[in-house]
Amino acid sequence: MASIARKNLFEDVPRFLVAQAGIMFAVSLVTIQTGILNGFVQSTGQLIDQSGADLWVSSKRMQQLEVSPPIPLQRLLQVREMEGVAYADPLAIRQVLWQTPKGQTTVARVYGFQPGGAFFTQWQLVAGEVGDLKTPYTFIADRANLNTLDLHEIGDRGLVGSLPARLVGITKNTSSIVSGAILFTSLETASAYTKTGTTIRCRIRAGATECLTALEDPYNQNSASSTPPKAPEPISLADPISFVLLKAKPDQNLEQLRQQIEAALPDTRVVTNAEMAEITRSFWLRRTGVGFVLGLGAAVGFIVGVVVVSQILYASVSDHLREFGTLKAMGASDWVIYRVITEQALWMAVLGYLPSMVLCLGLGSWTMATKGILILITPAIAGGILGITIVMCVGSALFAIQKVTHVDPAIVFKA
Amino acid sequence: MTLSQTRPTQSIFNGSYAASTPLISSFRNSMAVVASGVEMVYDSGAEPYAVLRGIDLEIQKGDVQLLMGPSGSGKTTLLSILGGILTPTAGKVFLMGQEITGMTRNQLAKFRLKNVGFIFQGFNLFPALTAAENVEVALKVKGLRGLQARRQVAIELLEQVGLADRMHHLPKDLSGGQKQRVAIARALAGDPHIIMADEPTASLDSQSGHAVIELLRQLAKNAGRTVLIVTHDPRLVDAADRITYLEDGMIHG
Ligand SMILES: Nc1ncnc2c1ncn2[C@@H]1O[C@H](COP(=O)(O)OP(=O)(O)OP(=O)(O)O)[C@@H](O)[C@H]1O
Ligand SMILES: [Mg+2]
Repeated sequence: MASIARKNLFEDVPRFLVAQAGIMFAVSLVTIQTGILNGFVQSTGQLIDQSGADLWVSSKRMQQLEVSPPIPLQRLLQVREMEGVAYADPLAIRQVLWQTPKGQTTVARVYGFQPGGAFFTQWQLVAGEVGDLKTPYTFIADRANLNTLDLHEIGDRGLVGSLPARLVGITKNTSSIVSGAILFTSLETASAYTKTGTTIRCRIRAGATECLTALEDPYNQNSASSTPPKAPEPISLADPISFVLLKAKPDQNLEQLRQQIEAALPDTRVVTNAEMAEITRSFWLRRTGVGFVLGLGAAVGFIVGVVVVSQILYASVSDHLREFGTLKAMGASDWVIYRVITEQALWMAVLGYLPSMVLCLGLGSWTMATKGILILITPAIAGGILGITIVMCVGSALFAIQKVTHVDPAIVFKA
Repeated sequence: MTLSQTRPTQSIFNGSYAASTPLISSFRNSMAVVASGVEMVYDSGAEPYAVLRGIDLEIQKGDVQLLMGPSGSGKTTLLSILGGILTPTAGKVFLMGQEITGMTRNQLAKFRLKNVGFIFQGFNLFPALTAAENVEVALKVKGLRGLQARRQVAIELLEQVGLADRMHHLPKDLSGGQKQRVAIARALAGDPHIIMADEPTASLDSQSGHAVIELLRQLAKNAGRTVLIVTHDPRLVDAADRITYLEDGMIHG
């Protein structure tokens, strides 16, 4: 029986190819949409995944990684003194105004942390040194953000507010598609960047005041008159940070430690690293509606696939109605015929799926390499899409099956 | 009103009573096909159209029986009913001693699977399958297990119809007569008691038509099969043991 399905399929090669093209389109659409969604969700939490922290201490009103009211630096010292805590470091996340070397302005986020500390050590640095962050007014950026920041290589400069900023390192897989450009800096630099505003200089001339916004770089290295900026002020207890990241002592029960910290510091919320990642990911998924949009795209792909496969199977079955009728006249049960059609659908599914997957994996590595957009096709997703493809093709066979079910075996005698 | 009602034999085929009479059951055992009072009314048009109006027919086992008549007289309809593909609106049909008119769709399918082989004017071969594969599909449907076994039986059947050397050809590469012989080999799959053919020679030239009929006759005589052939073709008359004429939904002569 195997041969009927396969041979009917290859009987008309051009039609088969059109069908496979349709299936490939559908499968690729579903795969890419799912991959983008998955890559997006994964990317929003990947920095957290790489943090190496056991627990995150934040304000009680923390929404997600980038939306969290500040807590005083004093919390860090309090956490450090607690029993069961091996070490703890601060993380301050603030929004700043970035001015590109060409003078264009864009919003960026500064992530101030302890370079050379215990956290964010799992970074993949493609250029530069984390240690260089100890120099004031330097930062590390993800290579996917270089375009936005309008930087090209280590040593390139821009402005944050009215302070200079020099690129000293380039990472990969640290930025999410959605969050905009990130500048990883030392805590001191971050604090200075947060406090800097746009400088407005006013001069009083002949009784009239004339004020100018300093859009030009006041510390322009090319300008002879430039003065080097003051070193950042040391951090004080009152300085705001966003999170305290901590590593527990070996054998320390994390749940117990969490309760202990929350009890001691009533204005804080303590979550595990996995919870933090999950909170951030589900925030982006739910709040942005991106899941819906990409899901819609995947659904459209699925429907296109159903339509194409139904058409082809229906046409193939219609072409062979007399032969199927002959099988029925012989006394074959409907199931024999259903099997032939289902098998035909399965062949279409598999033969459409394999090249689509290759195509999507290729496309995924291309977008990652050129655009820094992660299309994440995990084995689980690839398996799920195979399942969807099979459901799509076999489901489409139902139209053809119902056509055969209603065929009058008497058709066989019609000349 | 119809011819059948005037025939004295009609009542003896009514249900269980028939089986209980030794004379009748031995009569039925010698018959491959017995139809009594078969009527067929098509209801699909504007008004009901009676195609068969009281058909009584007996076909002896091992006979080559011809069913002839003008176009539209209901030959194909009758063949479909006798072969268990259509259910008549009235009357009874017995095949190999079993009443098929009371069977469900599934029972009918199983019955056909075991007892009846069909041959069609248009051959109805799967165009994408070779001669051997077309026969193998029928063998598989008929329940023969094993690829090797099916291939072997298919070759034997194709040998019987003289086509073993064409077993790897697709239908499009065979002549009409050869295609019909493949179809005959397929109809022989599962060794059915009865072969029913609707205009098997109508698409063939007279020479291959003759060869096909001669083959059918030979297959009937060698294995004691019953063959019922619907045809327009007067040249087939010689090959038949009996001929029945159908006209206006009734049997003549
Ligand atoms: N499914 C159907 N619905 C309605 N009428 C039908 C149907 N099938 C056949 N008929 C009618 O029944 C009559 C007999 O048809 P049938 O095919 O049995 O004739 P036939 O003797 O085989 O003719 P031919 O020699 O041309 O094949 C015709 O008038 C045909 O139009
Ligand atoms: Mg006919």
